[in-house]
Amino acid sequence: MKRLKCAVGTFLLMVVLFSACSKSEEEGSKPFFYVPDGFPNPVYQFQNNPVTTAGFVLGKKLFYDPILSRDSTVSCGSCHQQFAAFAQNDHKLSHGVDNLLGNRNSPGLFNIAWFPNFMWDGGVNHLEVQPLAPITNPVEMDETMPNVLVKLKRSNSYPGMFEAAFGSDTITTQVIMRAMAQFMGSMISADSKYDRYEAGKVNLTSAELSGLQLFRAKCESCHKEPLLTDMSFRNNGLDSYFTKDPGRAIITSIPQDSGLFRVPSLRNVVLTFPYMHDGRFEKLMDVMNHYSSGIQPSSTLDPILASGGIPLTLAEKNDLITFLGTLTDYTFIRDGRFKE
Amino acid sequence: MIKSKFMLACLCLISISFISCESDKKEDPAPVYASGTVILDLANIAGLSPNVDETGNTFYTNSSGELFSVSKLKYYISKIQLYNAGALVYEMPESYFLVDEVNQATTILHVPNVPGGTYTSIRFTVGIDSARNVSGAQTGALDPANGMFWTWSTGYVFFKIEGKSPASTQPDSSYIYHIGGFSGSNNANREVEITFGGESLIVNGTRRAEIHVLADILKVFSAQNTISIATLNTQMVQGGNALLIADNIAKMFNYEHIHN
Repeated sequence: MKRLKCAVGTFLLMVVLFSACSKSEEEGSKPFFYVPDGFPNPVYQFQNNPVTTAGFVLGKKLFYDPILSRDSTVSCGSCHQQFAAFAQNDHKLSHGVDNLLGNRNSPGLFNIAWFPNFMWDGGVNHLEVQPLAPITNPVEMDETMPNVLVKLKRSNSYPGMFEAAFGSDTITTQVIMRAMAQFMGSMISADSKYDRYEAGKVNLTSAELSGLQLFRAKCESCHKEPLLTDMSFRNNGLDSYFTKDPGRAIITSIPQDSGLFRVPSLRNVVLTFPYMHDGRFEKLMDVMNHYSSGIQPSSTLDPILASGGIPLTLAEKNDLITFLGTLTDYTFIRDGRFKE
Repeated sequence: MIKSKFMLACLCLISISFISCESDKKEDPAPVYASGTVILDLANIAGLSPNVDETGNTFYTNSSGELFSVSKLKYYISKIQLYNAGALVYEMPESYFLVDEVNQATTILHVPNVPGGTYTSIRFTVGIDSARNVSGAQTGALDPANGMFWTWSTGYVFFKIEGKSPASTQPDSSYIYHIGGFSGSNNANREVEITFGGESLIVNGTRRAEIHVLADILKVFSAQNTISIATLNTQMVQGGNALLIADNIAKMFNYEHIHN
C-alpha cells in the first residue's frame, strides 16, 4: 500500500515537473526582451515595466496606428520600416503630416533599451518619453497628448487593450509610453552574420575578415562593439559651419557642442541608407570617401579625425563595406512579431 | 489534562498582561495636537490687481514700463516642507502640484497628514527635481499631457507665462517665457521660504490651518533681474535668461496671512 502511494506520488510529481517544464520552455522560447550574449546590461529598467504579451501587442498597435498624428496620416511605422531595420528607406529626411519635411534622418530602431538617450542630438533622456517628440513635433505627427488621450479613450479597441496590458482601462500618457517601450525596447538585433561569427557558428570570407580587422583598427574607437556605437556625440567633420543644425549644442547650449551628433550604431547599416544626421550620403562608399578624404575642419572637429581623417585605399574601403554587410540582421527584419 | 489547564492559565495571564499594558498606555498624557491638513492658498496677483486675468484682455505694466497681458500662467510647486523655528518637521511625500490660473481650484494646495503642532514657516520649490526629469513618463500633475513638458529636450517646464505686449517685436506681439532646466548650472529649480511673520500656524486635527501667499507676476520681470519684453520676447530653452527669470520667480511669492 505504502509502495503504491509512493508510486502514485512519484507519478504525480513527475506530471507536475513535466508540465512545469513544458510551460517554462514555451514561455522561454522567444522572450520579448533578453540580453544577448556579450551585451552589457540594458539602460532601460524593464523590471519597472515588464514586457507582457498584452503590453507588447498594445505597443505594436500604437506604433503602427496613424491615430497618433494630427490628421491620422502618419504613424511611427511611416518613418520606421521593419525592412529598413526601422529606419526610413531611401529618405534623406523624415516626412510628416501635410507632407512636411523634418530636418533629420530617421534612425533605425533596434537595441534601443541600451541607449542612455535618444535623437541625433541626445535631447531625449528616457525611452518612455521618446515617442512624445515625434508625436508633438509640428513637422512630424503634429499632435498633442491631450488629443491623443481623447482619441484613444473614445476608440472601441484601445480601452480594453489597456485594461489587458495594465489592469485598468484608464488611459494616461504613462501607460501609452510604457506599452510603446515594451514594443520598441523588445526590438533586439543580435543575430547578424557578424554575431554568428563572434559566437563561433559561422566563418567570414577573407574580404569580410579583412574588413573586420580594418574596422577594429580604424572605426572601433567610436563604433564600439557589440552595440557598434560608444553612445557619444562627435563632430565627424561633415561641415565647418553649423548654423543650419548645431546638433548637440541645441540641447546643451554649450558652444563646444556645435556640430556634434550621435555616433550611430552600425548594425544593419546597409539597410539604413541614406547616411548621416541629414541623410546627405547615399552610399556606403560616399561615407568611406568622407572619412578618407572629405573631413571638413572646424574648432569642434573630433580629435580622432583632426589629422587628416582616416586614410583608406580603395581595397580597404571595399573590404570595410563588405564587412559592414555582415552586420545585417535578417532574423530581426523578418521577425513576424514586429510586422505591421 | 493538568497540562492544558496550566496552558489555559498561562494564556489568561498573558492576555491580562496585554490588557493591563494597554490601560497603562491610556494613562500616558495624550498628544496635545492631532495631525491635520494644511492648506497653502496661492493667490496670483499683478501688483495692485488682486488677481491675474488669464483671458488676455487686461494689460499690466512691468518695471520697464511695458504693457503686457496674460493668456497663460502655469507653474509647478513641489517638495513642500513645514518648519518650526527653523527645524524641518514635515515634508509632504510626492508633493507635486501644477498651479494653473485658468483653474482656480489648482491654486489651493492641500497638504494632508501634517503632524499636529505649531509651525513658523513653509518651504517649497518652484520646479521639479532632477530625478523626476530623468525617470520616464510620469502620472498625475507630472503627466506630460499637462503641457508642461519639453519633448525635444526632455524636461519639465517649471513656470510658464504667455501673453501679448506692444513691446514685443514678434509679428503677433506675443511674449512666451517657458522656464525649465534641472541639471548642473542650468538648474532653474528655486526654493522659496515663506515665514509666517512671527506668528505660529497651529495644526490640530480638523482645525483650519491655512497659509495665504501672494504670487505677484510683475516680479517675474523685476524681482532681482530686469527682464524687458522688448529685448526678450521668447524664452523656451534652459540656461541663460531662464536662470535670470527663475531668480525673479523665486522672489514673487510673499506671505499674506495665516488662519488658525
